[in-house]
Amino acid sequence: MFEIHCPYCNEKRSEIEFAYAGEAHYVRPTAQEQTEMSDEDWSRYMFIRDNIRGEHAERWWHNSGCNMFFNAIRDTVTDKFVMTYKMGQPRRTETQIEAARKNNAEQKAKS
Amino acid sequence: MSFDQAIDIPEIFDADDLRVTLLKEKARYSLRLKSQDVTAIKKASGLKLPAKIMGSTRTKDIICAKLGPDEWIVIADPTQKVKLDKTLAKVSKEFTCSITEISHRNVGFEISGSEAAQLINVGCPMDLSLDKFPVGKAVRTLFESASILLIRTDEHSFHLECWRSFGPYLRDFFARVISTR
Repeated sequence: MFEIHCPYCNEKRSEIEFAYAGEAHYVRPTAQEQTEMSDEDWSRYMFIRDNIRGEHAERWWHNSGCNMFFNAIRDTVTDKFVMTYKMGQPRRTETQIEAARKNNAEQKAKS
Repeated sequence: MSFDQAIDIPEIFDADDLRVTLLKEKARYSLRLKSQDVTAIKKASGLKLPAKIMGSTRTKDIICAKLGPDEWIVIADPTQKVKLDKTLAKVSKEFTCSITEISHRNVGFEISGSEAAQLINVGCPMDLSLDKFPVGKAVRTLFESASILLIRTDEHSFHLECWRSFGPYLRDFFARVISTR
């Protein structure tokens, strides 16, 4: 059991309150694009994901808490959350992730 | 709708350091409001809707709690129901919002006494120390596998609500934990 920081509640809550909701920043083609795209491209959109080993941008859902979706950077190898951020915010850059990782280490050293 | 559909959960436990009571019928409403309308709706309805997420306000008859960025729950004494039905119906006509009457969806327990936090922690992982969970804090979380609403009303007193169908399960759970004390 571990805790996840919810950016809406702005506090750490138990992992059992959350649900994984797939890869983040995955943009659905517009209705126009859908009518024009090939079946192959559509199936790639529907079913194929990057399945990254390591730091992964993904959606999470605080379904037993504030009921909001948010984005997170999680390491799929260690299952450690680097950072979480509100829905609609841009994809985090390598520098921002590095800064968050450093901040986490400092917080940990303090406590 | 009348209140006579309540399931029969008797008062279940009473001791010096722990008291679990089934609360009497309440009038409840779920509010989903746009943030720009909140101030106007507060004025129109007279409800003291808290601004901060996980915050709650409490008057003699009405509890308002903010569960999510755009979601509030109002728990009121049944004597307020007719009045609230009227005001909230008016509010839902004037503003783009969702207001649902959910009086029968939930049942409420009051858990009080110096052992209250300990009983809740048997099934709920929230940190209930006073600095992390001050009086007035209201959260939706899990108790065992049941979704609950938990409000701290006093240092040693909690208001816990669950969906009606989970009522007997929580009652039995409390009784089982208490019997093994």
